[in-house]
Amino acid sequence: MSDPILSIRDMRLEFDTFDGVYKAIDGVSLNVAPGEALGLVGETGCGKSVLTRAAFGLVPSPPARITSGEVLFGGRDLLSLREKQLRSIRGAQVAMIFQDPMTYLNPVFKVGTQLVDAIIAQQKGAIARRAARDLALEMLDKVHLPNPQRQFDSYPHELSGGMRQRVLIAMALAAKPKLLIADEPTTALDVTVQAQILDLIAELVSELGLSVIMISHDLGVVAQVCNRVAVMYAGQIVEDAPVADIFDNPKHPYTLGLLKAIPHPLRPVEHLAGIPGSLPNLYTPPTGCRFADRCSHAVPVCTDGKPPLMDLGAGHRVACTLYRKEHVDA
Amino acid sequence: MLKLIYRRLLMMVVMLLGLLAIMFVVANVAPGDPARLAAGPDATRDMVETIRVERGLDKPLPQRFVIYLGSVVTGDLGTSIHTGRAVLHDLAIYFPATLELVLFSIGLAIVLGIPLGVIAAVNHNQLADHIIRIFAVSGVAMPMFWLGLMLQWYLALELNWFPLGGQLDLMSDPPTRITGMLTVDALLTGNFAIFLGAVAHLFLPALSLSFPALASIIRVNRAEMLETLNRDYITNARAQGIGPLRIVAAYALKNALLPTLAMIGLRFGWMLGGTVLVEGVFDWPGVGLYAAKAAISSDFEPIMAVTLVLGASFMLANLLIDLTYAALDPRVRAQV
Ligand SMILES: Nc1ncnc2c1ncn2[C@@H]1O[C@H](COP(=O)(O)OP(=O)(O)OP(=O)(O)O)[C@@H](O)[C@H]1O
Ligand SMILES: [Mg+2]
Repeated sequence: MSDPILSIRDMRLEFDTFDGVYKAIDGVSLNVAPGEALGLVGETGCGKSVLTRAAFGLVPSPPARITSGEVLFGGRDLLSLREKQLRSIRGAQVAMIFQDPMTYLNPVFKVGTQLVDAIIAQQKGAIARRAARDLALEMLDKVHLPNPQRQFDSYPHELSGGMRQRVLIAMALAAKPKLLIADEPTTALDVTVQAQILDLIAELVSELGLSVIMISHDLGVVAQVCNRVAVMYAGQIVEDAPVADIFDNPKHPYTLGLLKAIPHPLRPVEHLAGIPGSLPNLYTPPTGCRFADRCSHAVPVCTDGKPPLMDLGAGHRVACTLYRKEHVDA
Repeated sequence: MLKLIYRRLLMMVVMLLGLLAIMFVVANVAPGDPARLAAGPDATRDMVETIRVERGLDKPLPQRFVIYLGSVVTGDLGTSIHTGRAVLHDLAIYFPATLELVLFSIGLAIVLGIPLGVIAAVNHNQLADHIIRIFAVSGVAMPMFWLGLMLQWYLALELNWFPLGGQLDLMSDPPTRITGMLTVDALLTGNFAIFLGAVAHLFLPALSLSFPALASIIRVNRAEMLETLNRDYITNARAQGIGPLRIVAAYALKNALLPTLAMIGLRFGWMLGGTVLVEGVFDWPGVGLYAAKAAISSDFEPIMAVTLVLGASFMLANLLIDLTYAALDPRVRAQV
């Protein structure tokens, strides 16, 4: 197997808040192989966005504080880079698209201006405005936006949500980045538009040979796009496996609950019917398994210490005491 | 856009009518007999009555208001008792000085306030932010005339850095009158020495007048910048690798300016009112001082006229602000 394109190792991140220190990310390790599409799932507030943004310096500090870890990308540890160096990686090599296309475009600048600004920044100024404009129009065409020339001169409020998301995708992929982080790119859209945008992303990903992290709380979306899935719970990765394994042979009780909670693969998870209770208080997180008090399989040892992510073979890893060797043998 | 201007100008006329009506009533229920004042201290009872009839002061109030409006429309704003000249003539002399003072003051407040607000927001909770905030709070808390007196006492009287008051040194000849604003006329006639003198005279009153506005502009712009810098479109711009200068000075500021503009409009109104105090402190020959002197001698026609021009200035300034609003925000533009 070739070296991962992105490798997050033992990342910890805390927020200094008025109420105390909120331990949002706790020892997360994650690899993305070249050409791989990794799904990152978990219920709302578990830290998916914070994890992927913090890796590229996009979480403001303060209040955030990264207390340990490495983010290896392109042979460098991003956490040791200065903002200026990070900036030259963002946009150019790592692209991000976000959840709500309504709020991620600047309302007072023309779509075209924002595209051209982004392209010039991605190319670090090594492109003339004219050429950037041509590239922007080409990208708008590539994302199948009808009448690109007109949309180029429009303001965001003149575009529908689906059109705006296409603009944001065009912007993100203009520099032919290596890695795409798609943070719930379809959640805010109508169901019909969702499918179109997902198709578009899948099309561009294969065309550009991108590696992808697709964040979603919708396992249906993940099944459609990804070949591997990492399940996140309360700031930790609890299971990490090829997509077929997650659906056919889920190991972690939380993953089981997530799957049970989806009666229909295209309906987003809002109520985790399969899992009573809610996320633990991360100001004073449990010392043992963070899922223990919601887990129907919990045994006394579960609260004893954080279960490590164990390799079950065939690229399937799980962090659950139930799969400890001694436990399984017993 | 033209429709907006047209609608707003129409509204302005209505509002000015209302303003005049209120002023007219206030002026006429205030103590003091205008006929007696006009007739002078030595006039007999008969003379006063003759003047009363001559000036139509014996007619009922609504009728007098209509008559007054009629003369205002033809450009006759009455006669000032204490200057003895036509009020229109007085305004032509004094209003440019006030306009100069107010424009300079609001300009100062904008030119300093917006960058300071931005600097504070960008350095949120750091030293620069703390210093700027203390400055801004003191500005809001300090009464204008008191600040004026303090500046005058310290910078003019003690340190002698600035002239005490007035518009120009007694020794220097004013430039040819073109706009009536000394700094502008000095520049237009190429008289640089006079220009510097005029600016030196303008500086302290303008500073006093602009300080509260400056403080509010800083506060609003800082708060708006802080909020805007947390918006999703800023995250997206950063994710594209766009640099901090463009993000702060364009992507964030253009959004933050919208609420700041509203504050500028509001503060401009306060400033127009503040001229009465500040012109008094610095002996600045504008309509504020003119109106204050008129008020002391119950000379109502000048007061009405000054109210009219200040009200119109305020409304015009706010029209200008609304147009700027539309220029900055395409969503506003789409609505008009
Ligand atoms: N600036 C902040 N200050 C304090 N806490 C924060 C801040 N930003 C995020 N958090 C907390 O970090 C946790 C993780 O947030 P994050 O946005 O990563 O969740 P998520 O998994 O992306 O959820 P969603 O599916 O709703 O997008 C949340 O509990 C949130 O309250
Ligand atoms: Mg999120």
